[in-house]
Amino acid sequence: MNVKLKVLVSAMGLMLSTNALAETEVEKLRADVDELKKEVQKAAEWKEPSTLIHMSGYASIGYSSAENANDSFTAGGFSPIFHYQYRDLVMLESELELEVEADGSTKVELEYLTIDLFINDYIIFVGGKFLSPVGQFRQNLHPSWVNKLPSAPPGFGHDGAAPVSDIGMQLRGGFPVGGIRSNYAVYVSNGPELISEWDGSGFELDGVEAEGKNTDQDNKKVIGGRYAILPVANLELGLSAVTGKATVTSVEGTGAPALVNEQVRDYDVLGFDFAWQMKGIALRGEYVKTKVGDATAGTSASAGAEWTTWYTQFAYKFLPTKFETVVRYTDFDSVGTSNDQEQWVLGVNYLFTNTVIGKIAYELNDGATGSTADDDRLLLQLAYGF
Amino acid sequence: MKIQQFKDKITTINTLTLMILSMSFPVTGFTEADYPPPGDFQRGAKTWAENCGRCHNIRAANELRDDQWISTVFHMRIRAGLTGVETRDVLTFLQGSNTSVKVPSTTSRAAAAISTLSGKDVYGQTCIACHGENGTGNFPGVPNFTNKDGPLVKSDDVLINNIMGGFQSPGSPMAMPAKGGNPDLTQKDIQKTLGYIRKQFAR
Repeated sequence: MNVKLKVLVSAMGLMLSTNALAETEVEKLRADVDELKKEVQKAAEWKEPSTLIHMSGYASIGYSSAENANDSFTAGGFSPIFHYQYRDLVMLESELELEVEADGSTKVELEYLTIDLFINDYIIFVGGKFLSPVGQFRQNLHPSWVNKLPSAPPGFGHDGAAPVSDIGMQLRGGFPVGGIRSNYAVYVSNGPELISEWDGSGFELDGVEAEGKNTDQDNKKVIGGRYAILPVANLELGLSAVTGKATVTSVEGTGAPALVNEQVRDYDVLGFDFAWQMKGIALRGEYVKTKVGDATAGTSASAGAEWTTWYTQFAYKFLPTKFETVVRYTDFDSVGTSNDQEQWVLGVNYLFTNTVIGKIAYELNDGATGSTADDDRLLLQLAYGF
Repeated sequence: MKIQQFKDKITTINTLTLMILSMSFPVTGFTEADYPPPGDFQRGAKTWAENCGRCHNIRAANELRDDQWISTVFHMRIRAGLTGVETRDVLTFLQGSNTSVKVPSTTSRAAAAISTLSGKDVYGQTCIACHGENGTGNFPGVPNFTNKDGPLVKSDDVLINNIMGGFQSPGSPMAMPAKGGNPDLTQKDIQKTLGYIRKQFAR
């Protein structure tokens, strides 16, 4: 083989091997790109879901120093809120309420659980256990990062004059009336149950358990709702009403005879509320009256009763600082006088952020002598809405 | 020749790969849901300013991702009794204001159209929702243009830079988005608007 031929063969071999190397590299890169395409496709599926999963909620910790009680650090509560949303059609909402009890155990409650259908621009169907739409405090203001004071106004808690929650169906939404905004909520529900107290010789109505019950003991439904208008921006005026029947289902006091043939009683709630904001000022108030009728038959037959509470709250932000002052007055009248309470609260808040709030407040309480409702309290709280 | 072809293929593949990667990881959000339909940014700003503070401290747009705002605003539709239109407007405003890394376009057809607007027109369309008709601010924390020691003591260069890039005043519940949330505004529009603001509100 002459030299020229050797060179030619070597050159051809080099070209062939280079070509083979290039083809191998191209194949390898093509495989990489195919793999990337698959990953991109998966990422796109993940980035454009029809279902959104979202968690929010709030929590608080605090310190309490009350007359006639030990000063204590407190874990106020942890309330995660879960949202599962299918496009703009349906949303599942649920809030849990986790609290540490005095004995160290943990209490878990389902604050609300609803499936919401967005029917059109003006109507939302809400079904399940929902917060009472009576007034504003329970449905909108009770979260610790929203409430400007560390405590709820007397009568708006879990055993007060204002209903807390219910189980049933609700329609709600907003619509304009002329140039004025308005919003509404109407519902039908199982309604509350009543508690009666046995004093050894007779019965007296003691309380309304207005928290959602999964069975309707008296088979009598309750209807209610709220309508509010905003005649000008930042001013809301609301009117709430509930009517239906309720029955005594439990008794407090030892030695009480068993309940038999309880008569259903009239149950009515009426409420007004307002809220106004201007610059650093936030003024709001609510009035709620719950009335239960007489019963002339059944073991716990007794006269009817009324529970009334109202509060007015003024808050002012010292902008551009992060300080805010709050004053609230509440008057709660219940059956008898043991739970009656008149309360002034003075508070100063520091807004670390708009959802992380440090609060210090002093409650001046006037209630039945010797009861906790009469003890003044110093409260500190750090609330975090997330 | 073969080596050059090989290099060309590699370059093409790299370009395609970069394109695919750039499409798959846009910087605008965690998820990009195609619902609900878009609302009106300006109306949303007004609805947000007038309603969210009814119950709680106003949250800044950059506290949540765009997809988180969807569930949050729908939740608030139920709580606050908003209409569907108001809900979409507020969502559009919050997602549009959540813009720390969104690059506004300045060369769109809309930009050419709006550049003929006066400073008064731009203020009335874009700024008024938060700064108010009288320049004193529509909700707590918005700086007062009529204040002698207010933002208008700053130079035009500083203010234009703040408006172009977005800015959060001390005590304000949220940052003003870049170009007030209207990406179609040109620098000339903003200069005219600043002139109008100074003329109307400076004390």
